[in-house]
Amino acid sequence: MTLSLRSFMRHEAVLGILLVLVLFVLAQQSDKFFTTANILNQGRLMTEIGLIALPMTFVIITGGIDLSVGSILGLCAILLGVFWQNLGLPLPAAMALAVCVGALAGLVNGLIITRFKVPPLIATLATLALYRGLAEGISQARSVRGYPEWFFVLGQGEVLGVPTQLWILIVFAIGAAAILGLTTFGRATYAVGANETAARFSGINVDRTKLLIYTASGLVSGIAAVIFVSRVSTTRSDMGTGVELDVITAVVLGGTSIFGGRGTIIGTVIGLILVQALKNGLALSGVKGDGTIVVIGVVLIFAILASNLFSRNGDG
Amino acid sequence: MTDTGRTAKPMTATPASSAETAPPLVELRNTSKTFSGIKVLKNVGFDVRPGEVHALLGENGAGKSTLIKILSGFHTPDEGGEIRVNGRPVSFSSPRDARKAGIATVYQELLLFPDMTVAENIFIGHAPRAGMGALDWNEMRRRARALLDDLDSHDLDVDARVGGLSVANRQRVEIAKALSQDARLLIMDEPTASLADADVRRLLDVVRRLRERGVAIIYISHRMPEIFALADRVTVLRDGALIGTKDIEEVDDASLVSMMVGRSIDQLFPKVVVPIGAPVLELRKVSFKDEVQDISLTLRAGEILGIAGLVGSGRTELALTIFGITPATSGEILLNGRPVTIRSPQQARDLGIAYVPEDRGLQGLVKPQTIRENVSMALLDRISKGSIVDRVKESALARDAIARFGIRARGPEQRAGQLSGGNQQKVVLAKWVSTNPKVLIMDEPTRGIDVGAKSEIHALMCKLAGEGLAVIMISSELPEVLGMSDRIMVMNGGRMVRTFDRSEATPDVVGAAMTHAGASHAGGAA
Amino acid sequence: MSFETATVRRSASTGFAARTFATYGQEFIILACIVVLFVAVGLIAPRFISPTNLTTIFVGNAYIAVAAIGMSMVIISGHIDVSVGSLIGVLATISGTLAVSGYPVWFAWLAPVIVGMVVTSFIGVLVAYVRIPSIVVTLGMLSILKGGLISVTGGAWITNLPPDYLIAQFRLFGIPSPVWFMIFLTAVAAMFMRYTAFGRSIYAIGGNGEAARVAGIPVERTTVTIFAIHGLFAGIAAVLFATQLQVIQSTVPPNLELTVITASVVGGVSILGGTGTVVGSTLAAILFAAIGSSLIFLNVSAYWLRAVQGLLILATVLADMARRHRIG
Repeated sequence: MTLSLRSFMRHEAVLGILLVLVLFVLAQQSDKFFTTANILNQGRLMTEIGLIALPMTFVIITGGIDLSVGSILGLCAILLGVFWQNLGLPLPAAMALAVCVGALAGLVNGLIITRFKVPPLIATLATLALYRGLAEGISQARSVRGYPEWFFVLGQGEVLGVPTQLWILIVFAIGAAAILGLTTFGRATYAVGANETAARFSGINVDRTKLLIYTASGLVSGIAAVIFVSRVSTTRSDMGTGVELDVITAVVLGGTSIFGGRGTIIGTVIGLILVQALKNGLALSGVKGDGTIVVIGVVLIFAILASNLFSRNGDG
Repeated sequence: MTDTGRTAKPMTATPASSAETAPPLVELRNTSKTFSGIKVLKNVGFDVRPGEVHALLGENGAGKSTLIKILSGFHTPDEGGEIRVNGRPVSFSSPRDARKAGIATVYQELLLFPDMTVAENIFIGHAPRAGMGALDWNEMRRRARALLDDLDSHDLDVDARVGGLSVANRQRVEIAKALSQDARLLIMDEPTASLADADVRRLLDVVRRLRERGVAIIYISHRMPEIFALADRVTVLRDGALIGTKDIEEVDDASLVSMMVGRSIDQLFPKVVVPIGAPVLELRKVSFKDEVQDISLTLRAGEILGIAGLVGSGRTELALTIFGITPATSGEILLNGRPVTIRSPQQARDLGIAYVPEDRGLQGLVKPQTIRENVSMALLDRISKGSIVDRVKESALARDAIARFGIRARGPEQRAGQLSGGNQQKVVLAKWVSTNPKVLIMDEPTRGIDVGAKSEIHALMCKLAGEGLAVIMISSELPEVLGMSDRIMVMNGGRMVRTFDRSEATPDVVGAAMTHAGASHAGGAA
Repeated sequence: MSFETATVRRSASTGFAARTFATYGQEFIILACIVVLFVAVGLIAPRFISPTNLTTIFVGNAYIAVAAIGMSMVIISGHIDVSVGSLIGVLATISGTLAVSGYPVWFAWLAPVIVGMVVTSFIGVLVAYVRIPSIVVTLGMLSILKGGLISVTGGAWITNLPPDYLIAQFRLFGIPSPVWFMIFLTAVAAMFMRYTAFGRSIYAIGGNGEAARVAGIPVERTTVTIFAIHGLFAGIAAVLFATQLQVIQSTVPPNLELTVITASVVGGVSILGGTGTVVGSTLAAILFAAIGSSLIFLNVSAYWLRAVQGLLILATVLADMARRHRIG
């Protein structure tokens, strides 16, 4: 076993132990915590964030960041309603179109970043405002309701006793893990993040890689938007506000280096479960909803702190 | 208006008598420096006298930069060494300390603030103050003007943004910055490496002027004529050790080269002569902007074509153009007789062109990744099925590379960044040879690696040429170019100035073509 | 000095006007935009330039300009703070709570400034010494402050504020105090940035950190101080924000951080650090407030405001990148 692989394992092992510990403590706090109903419900609640965290893992591995995912989610949600209700499109077409808009929004991010060389942080900060602004402008604070019954299967239904969207998340997570871990594209992603110049000098198409990743980030945010709307039965322009924070926390907590070049999907999934368990556990033990955001903020800072010390040791 | 019309004065060294009697301004005694167990500077003694130009010579990796970094406070020397300024022992814990002692350095990569004006760059950190400690901008501009006028740079606007200046002008700003702090010793690290001829002449005038004012100068350069034009004394380093310090009158071109290289060229490079085959790569009047101009050449299978030239002569730029990083703006490239377009490194790779880049750490290796991942990076598509990477094949490839190239590593899973320089270079070489290229371009293949690894790389290069690969080798080390090449092409100012056959190439003629070549030789073709 | 050198000098130096424009180009452009906007919208809807509306625009937005001063310093030094909106919300609540709890008025004004400086200094330490990217620290801080505020106060309204506490409603020579604050603080900060060694080192750190270190600037210490100054301005902004109405809602003003960052960036502060002035950010804050107000007078839904904001940032950022590529 080599050093790099060992340190990888060490990080995920630490995370795993932390997760078990947290689950144990939270289970002591409330006997509702470890019930099948609660666990499945938590799975339902974390699907949107979980989905977006998958491409975000790729984004952060390339050394970038995408702050606009929450706004893309909001924009797609609004457009889903507008396409269906105002333009009178059939709902499946509206869903597909909304997802396409998400992909387009991600593509725009990618183009700004690769063609104009704008740092991802600033580019997506600008589009965070722009996409949310478009959502607000288009919706004019009106919400869309009254979706047909079949549509709620996606966000509120169950398949084989498990929430529908959890199946989607599982399929996507496996797909993302396979792409990142096994394919040439995954290799390119790591190489771009660890040393962009060397990747380019090795014949890897750096711009194409980034473009695809940011587009995927937008696309998945669009899918998350559809699921979100189906789960809460309504669309509002402020949907997905602050989602970027939860997503980045999960990814970084999962061991993906904010400086790029390192990270795994499995880590992200563990990070995701940890965050959701904390939220749920705290809520069950009586902490009010907003108090849990505080915990996420603290956890985010400490996660980076740890991974910072970790990577510095690793480079020795 | 400017003094570009003024010609360089005849090259006489200043009277040595006064310099000899003066006590050293700065002195290094028994100075060593060890980086992670490797001694890069070995018990060196060195001194500079007021008002002298002291040239520092040595091949890449000889320890020059370590020495000047010790003098300018970036590195602290190992125990046992001593730095004396005006005879008093001092210790520098930061660049600031060195500057307070009157030592200023003009680095190759200039440390300026692109968005600030010339005046502010000169005075950053020690700006003139008016009442209540407020910066006095008018005084700052006035003094900057005076300093630049002193350097004969009347045409340089003190209010110009530094980011918009030419390299030569930025260098003047750096020199003015050093003078604004009353530097008594100015260290100049290859100041003419990226300057055009006219700018070089102006710079040499500036250096002479400073010497007249009693400023001591440590001058690092690879260009022999400059050294003979300027220097009073010259010190040669090799492999971190002091070879000698001589008055300029005592040495000539040949003796300096032999001090620097230390071995005869034939001994060092066991060149294997292999049969040379059909043309593989042909360039016809290939240009990239004004960095590469009208290059025509023919490269044959089994041939090693050496490209010599100073830094900034267009050597690397030519390689980048062939490899598609900076695609040609005009001209034609033929591969095996067929015209091809190369717009990206991917295309170049797919056509069978490989490039082992100049900057190993930045361009060649992904240091945090394993040897396995590095070696397979350029041919992932070929070892994958339906874009799934075949890990078994990949590991086999890495193990092959380790065996074939003699990479000293714990195994394919060791991180590339943990290897020594020579072994890192072998990994980069292995990455590209694994793609089965027809043309292999190697840019500074042995820079910064130890002598043993160097000859291993050279042997590998010969072996690859023997297998029918067409090789282009770019190198700043003249002995390497002379020792390894079947043919030598000399570049200057983005153009090819001369080509030599192995038999006619001597250090003198190639060196002369590199350094003196001006308009007179331009337009040679292979 | 000979005549010849004098000629040389004149030809080699730009004139004062050109120099001023080179340094303050963006500021002039924004000023022109403000003038054009006021004239154009004023012609269409005269009430837009009535004293009442002007007062509303300035009093309601001066705190954004004040916060943008500190933010500009942070961005010029190469960092960012996305938590400033939450911070201002927290500080305003602290200030208001102290005021209604019977503490002296000066204490209710001073406390948020000090707390603000403590919080941002802590951010600065994490950024400078622990080397966590500022975006991550402040994202985390955003949720800590926001979540903390809401879970403590539940978003309740603070009412019955003592009249002598409402500093933003004071007037001097008939002009509301926030305007004075904005002008005075902008002027002081501009002088500070231009005429002190510390001010210049902010530019140096953002322009070329390595060179700054070599030039003897203590990069870490300076970074923490920059964040502390940013906290100072955030504190003052919070007091202005808290006292502009008779009541304070103890929540985080929505999108405030983005508005503040927009003002800085549109005002000419380069997103890559190293350039920009606080005069520009203040002008941009005014411009942005005026755009917001003009939308109402032009019968455009205020819901488009954020889209305009996003477009403005994007356009400025792209122009900045294009300029950098041209200059190289």
